[in-house]
Order: sequence, then structure tokens, then C-alpha cells
Amino acid sequence: MIRRSLSMLGLAVFALAGAGAAHAEDAAAPTALAIGSPMPSADVKMKNVDGKEFTLAELAGKKGTLVVFSCNACPWAKKWESRITTLGNGFAKKGVGVVVINSNDPGVNPEDRYDVMVTRSQKLKMKFPYVVDATSDVARAFGATRTPEAFLFDADGKLVYHGTIDDNANDPKQVKERYLEAALTSVSSGKPVATAETKSMGCGIKFRKSSS
Amino acid sequence: MAGPVAAAALAVTLVMGSCQKREPAPSRAQVRTPAAQPADAPAVLAAVQAPGAKATVLNVWATWCEPCREEFPDLVRLGHEYSNRGVRLVLVSGDFDTEKAAVDKFLADQGVDFATYIKSGDDMKFINSLNPKWSGALPATFVYDGQGRLRDFWEGKASYEKMEERLLRVLQARGAADSTEART
Repeated sequence: MIRRSLSMLGLAVFALAGAGAAHAEDAAAPTALAIGSPMPSADVKMKNVDGKEFTLAELAGKKGTLVVFSCNACPWAKKWESRITTLGNGFAKKGVGVVVINSNDPGVNPEDRYDVMVTRSQKLKMKFPYVVDATSDVARAFGATRTPEAFLFDADGKLVYHGTIDDNANDPKQVKERYLEAALTSVSSGKPVATAETKSMGCGIKFRKSSS
Repeated sequence: MAGPVAAAALAVTLVMGSCQKREPAPSRAQVRTPAAQPADAPAVLAAVQAPGAKATVLNVWATWCEPCREEFPDLVRLGHEYSNRGVRLVLVSGDFDTEKAAVDKFLADQGVDFATYIKSGDDMKFINSLNPKWSGALPATFVYDGQGRLRDFWEGKASYEKMEERLLRVLQARGAADSTEART
């Protein structure tokens, strides 16, 4: 009887431990778009800072397409915004389509409003669209979680790089690894990207309630 | 009958534990807040895996992160209320080191009366060392068992009830394992 009861308890323990492990799996971060995936939400119209609407398909470049989820308010986005603009302006000339998307709900932080996007893009002299993801569904489709977060597609429209800008948000002079620049250089010259996935800390995207 | 009795006793203990008088958080005027210390991933993991805790909750936050600030009081309350049940709370600020004064002020305002950390070193190594599934978004919360094994993880703000539920699952798994070990 005792042996049987111990077996029952052992089973209960196993079940509890198993439940914990499964739970940890369930609680993992949202799954971002996998390397090799096609661009999602390519036909969603998004309003640019010049008042016009664009889709990602319309903004795709002949040599590749860079999509960066960013915003106005996040300290990490602010630290990197000049570097993103320099890369975007430079590689747009080389045939890479470039777009920055703000998916944040401005109700959470008013600094993420459209009018602030307009002044920000002018101040930074962005020569590429800075658009509003009005439902946050484009960010959801990409599996984007933070700002800034970059997704780079090759000329065939397949994801070849996902991650951060470089390895030091706080101090541009201390950067050792320019991940996004390296990936852009490879893509624009038709070469494979050496480091396809990188990470950094960033602000969580302030998602609007799902529209679906 | 020993097994079912032990299981029932565990259940009663857990229920009583959640109802018993808990350690109140000290009033902010009473506490002295240690300055946050720079720590890379190995140092944070050493703090997490130091012996003596039945479970450890690790939270990575930042002063400018609104959801982090919103959940912070509940996190500190959880740490205090479960400290007498062997739960350790480890807090790591993801702020830039230039924001250290703001970090220390926020910790003092929140009545934090234990050692905390401010992340140092490379972001990607830090993130992947704690959990390869962590995207890097804040806040991020990790729950470890008494052996320092990661048992649960989530990104984003959580309510007190969610934090408590997820912590209790880890404590319950440990309690059940202890009962088994005691009888084998």
C-alpha cells in the first residue's frame, strides 16, 4: 500500500515538474519571424510622415529591404536614431528599400504621436519613410517585441537579418560590432549575411489592442 | 496511505502559507537602500544561484520603462511577503550606467532595502546567458528553483496575482520534490 501510494506521489511530482517545464516553454518570448521567411503584412497601408500612405511591398528595394520597428520615446531608440538614419540614408542610395515603423500606442506615451514623428524625421533628416502601424498588427506579424528592432530582407524578399543595430547603444565610439551595417553591406552586394541574428535590450513595443 | 497524507499536508501547507500573516514591506522612511552595483551576466547568475533560497525571482527593469515602473511596487511586495518562505528577489536595472543616479533614487523611492544590480557588459551575452528565448524587451522576469534552474520566464508587465501564481508553481514543485526525497 505504501509503495503504491509513493508511486502515486511520484507521479504527482512528475506531473508538477512537467507542468512547470511546459509552462516555461509557453511563457517564452513571442516568436519573431524566422530567417528565410518572406515579408509579412506587405500589403498593409501605413501613413508616412509626409501624409502619404505606403505598403511595405511598395517600399521594397531592388537589392533588399530594411524594416526597423522604432519610435520617438524609447531611450534606446533615441540613442540609435542617428545611426539608423545614417545607415538608412546611405543604403537607400544603394538600392535598399528603407522604412522605419512606429507601432507604439501613443496613448501610452504621447511622445509617440504622429506629429512628433514628423518633427523627429525632419530633425534627423530621414530620407526614407517613417510610418505609423495604426493597429500594431504589422509588428505582431513580424513578431517584433521591442524598439529599435531591425528586419532585413534580401532582393528575393527573404529575411536574412534580424536584430539590433550594433553592440553599444549608449556610446557610438565604443561600438565594436556593427551588425546591421555589415548585413546591409552584404545584402546590397548580393552576398550572404554572416551574422543573421543578434539581440539587444530595448523598450517593449506598446501594442494597441488587437484589431482582429 | 503515507503518500496521499503527505500530498494533502503539502496542499494544506501551501494554502495556509498563502493565508498566513506575511512579512510587511518596510515603510520607505525606515529603509536604507544600497546603491545598485554593476553586474554582468555571470555575476547576476551567481546572485541567483547562491545557496539558501527555495526560489528566486529575477526581474530586469529600467527607470524609463513605464510597464517596469508600474509593476515594481508589486514585485517588491512579493519579495517581502515571500521572504520568510525562502524566496529571494534579484533586481537588475537595464539602464545605461549614465542613469545610475536615477536608478538609485527610484530604488530608494520604492523602499528597496536589499542589494540590487545595474547591468554591465554586452547586451547580447547578457540576454542569452539569462535565457536564449528572451528577446531583450523589458520588463523581463525569470523564476528559478532552489537549485538555480530556470523554471519560468515571461516578458512584459505582470500583476501581483500573476507573479504570485507563477512563483507558487515553482515553490509547489519544490515542495512536492522535497516530500518525495524525504520518503525515499
